[in-house]
Parts: sequence; structure tokens; C-alpha cells
Amino acid sequence: MAFMGKGGSGKSTIAGTFARLLARRGEPVLALDSDPLPGLPYGLGVEVDDRPIPDDAVVEGPEGGPRWVLAPGIGPADVIERYAVECPDGVRYLQFGNTSGEIWAVQRAQFAWSETVHGLDRSTWSLVGDLPGGTRQAMFGWAKYADCALLVVEPTAKSLHTARRLLHLDRAEWGPTTIGVVANKVRDEADVVRIEDRLDRAVMVRVPWSSAVVEGDRHAGAPLDVDPDGSFVAEVDGLVDRLVPAYDRDVEVS
Amino acid sequence: MKIAVTGKGGSGKTTTSAALARTLARRGLAVVALDCDTNPNLGISLGVGDQETERLLTLRERLDEGGVEHAPGWDELMERFGTDAPDGVRLGVITRIENPEPG
Repeated sequence: MAFMGKGGSGKSTIAGTFARLLARRGEPVLALDSDPLPGLPYGLGVEVDDRPIPDDAVVEGPEGGPRWVLAPGIGPADVIERYAVECPDGVRYLQFGNTSGEIWAVQRAQFAWSETVHGLDRSTWSLVGDLPGGTRQAMFGWAKYADCALLVVEPTAKSLHTARRLLHLDRAEWGPTTIGVVANKVRDEADVVRIEDRLDRAVMVRVPWSSAVVEGDRHAGAPLDVDPDGSFVAEVDGLVDRLVPAYDRDVEVS
Repeated sequence: MKIAVTGKGGSGKTTTSAALARTLARRGLAVVALDCDTNPNLGISLGVGDQETERLLTLRERLDEGGVEHAPGWDELMERFGTDAPDGVRLGVITRIENPEPG
């Protein structure tokens, strides 16, 4: 699955929590960050700043092919083994590095990241992706690996506006088979009603406003570490419960 | 004076930009607010409303689809792809709007 939505809606926080809770059920989980300013480590509870797939694992691609490819002898499984960061609960985490300047600085690792994600053995790994905020990467097909897109939306006009745009993924032939709406920072029933009215979709899960999670965010603490028994974690756990059987048995999510 | 507001998603760029634009306009400056986001929603924070924000976006989208002509200059661009916001601010949506890429 891939989490998308407006910046600040809580994608990384929910995705990181989701990945760890899924891993606790015994699934090998790969957490995928395609943000060149990665935020997913905060949700996972690891200190990772700049951890690209290194230059010596990537070589120039063949004539007419991709610009960069994994070096001979290095397959997707090797990339995970060597370069994916080990996180709590056994989650592995793959990013393409952190750029505070030129986007070109991460281009080489980006190609390798993409080749890894699309070449992985899907029967082994569960993929939990986190996209940058907004619509750009989603519209360009960065989450083609995902069967299910999870739209994280908070009950604000701007977050809903972005979510409405992202629902256009429905029109893409390559788009996800399912788009689920994850309501975040929910304070009351009216928030849920506003989201469902504006998106014309049922909300799949209601993640409540949590001052413990917000406080944890101030000190780079992941929800599972600062408030493991709180309602935020409980609701994300419910989302895992809801999605796991569906994808294990390959049935339609209702 | 030209001001660009930047920062992480959700940090309050749009809200700050809108407040700045309207505050400057209230002091008597002629202010143009430019939404340069590929997912534009500055109109919401300026107070032009959901519908008008969506209308500007649709208008800009039709340009990409070839439904309308490009504006040849600044004045016409702001005239055709802009709208009046409170306090005399003129809002323009000037970036390409993103939709799912084919293939």
C-alpha cells in the first residue's frame, strides 16, 4: 500500500505506525520512502537522515534503457539486505537519500530505488510506501507498486481539496485497485461527516486527534514509542486488521 | 517587493501567504497573490471559498487540455486566470495542474 495526501496530514506518522504493526503480525515489511526530504523515519521511530543506495551499487544503464541501473551482481534482494535500514519490530526501511539542495544529488539512488521496488519478490515482501505531500508523485505514478492507495486526510478545507484531486487516480489505467480514505486528527462525528460529504466516499478508518502523538512529534518520538496504548495506535492497528486479510486472500476491500 | 513563502507541507505556508497578502493590501499596497503549487489551494486561505478555488483550477486545467488559449502577457494572465480576493488582493493560479499521467 501507499500513503498519500496533503503535506502535514499525517502520512508518515500513520505509515510508520502501520508498517510496524503489520510487521508484528509476522509479515516481512519494507517501508518505502520516496520523499527526497524523508519524514518516514519519524513515524518508524528510527534516526536516519541520509541513507541513499550508494553510488558504487549503481552503474550507467544500457543504451536506450534507464539512465542508471543496479550494478551487475546486485539484485533487489541484495539492496534490501545491504542498504535497507533495520527498524523496530523488524521493519526494513528504504529511502533514496536526503537532499537539501539539488534534486540531481539523489537521482542515481532514485533509479536504483525504483528498480529495487519494482523487481522485488512480491510474495515475500509487504510494501508500505509514504509519498511526499501533494499530488505530484502520485500523479506521475510513483506508487505503481501499490494495490491500495490510502488517502490520509484531516478535516480541513485544504487537506480535503488535495484529497479530491488525488481521487483522480481512479481514472488512471495504472492506478491502484482500491483507494481508501484514512481520516486523521478527527475530533468528532462532524469531522467525519465533512470528509465523507466532500469526498463522496466512506471513511475507512477514523484516527483521532491525539495530543500525545503531537507532543511526541515535537521530540521526534514515534506514536508506537510515546503512546503505544493510545487511541491513535489502536485505530491504525484496526486499519491493519482490515487490510491484511483482504490482501492476503486477494479479495476486494469493502 | 516580491515575497516567496516556502517550507514543509502542513507547516502553514499557504495560511501565512494569505495573511501576508491581505495584511499588505490593507495597508494600501497593490497585492497579487500567486499560487505556484501544482495542487493550488491558496484561494481557500485567502477566503475566496472552495468553489471559486476549484473554478480557477479547472480554468487552468483547460489550458493544459488545449481548451483555452495562453494569455500573452501579465495583465491578461491575471485577468483571465485570476480572481478578486478580499481586501483587494488579486489571486492568480499560474502553475500546471497535475492529473494522472498516461501509461
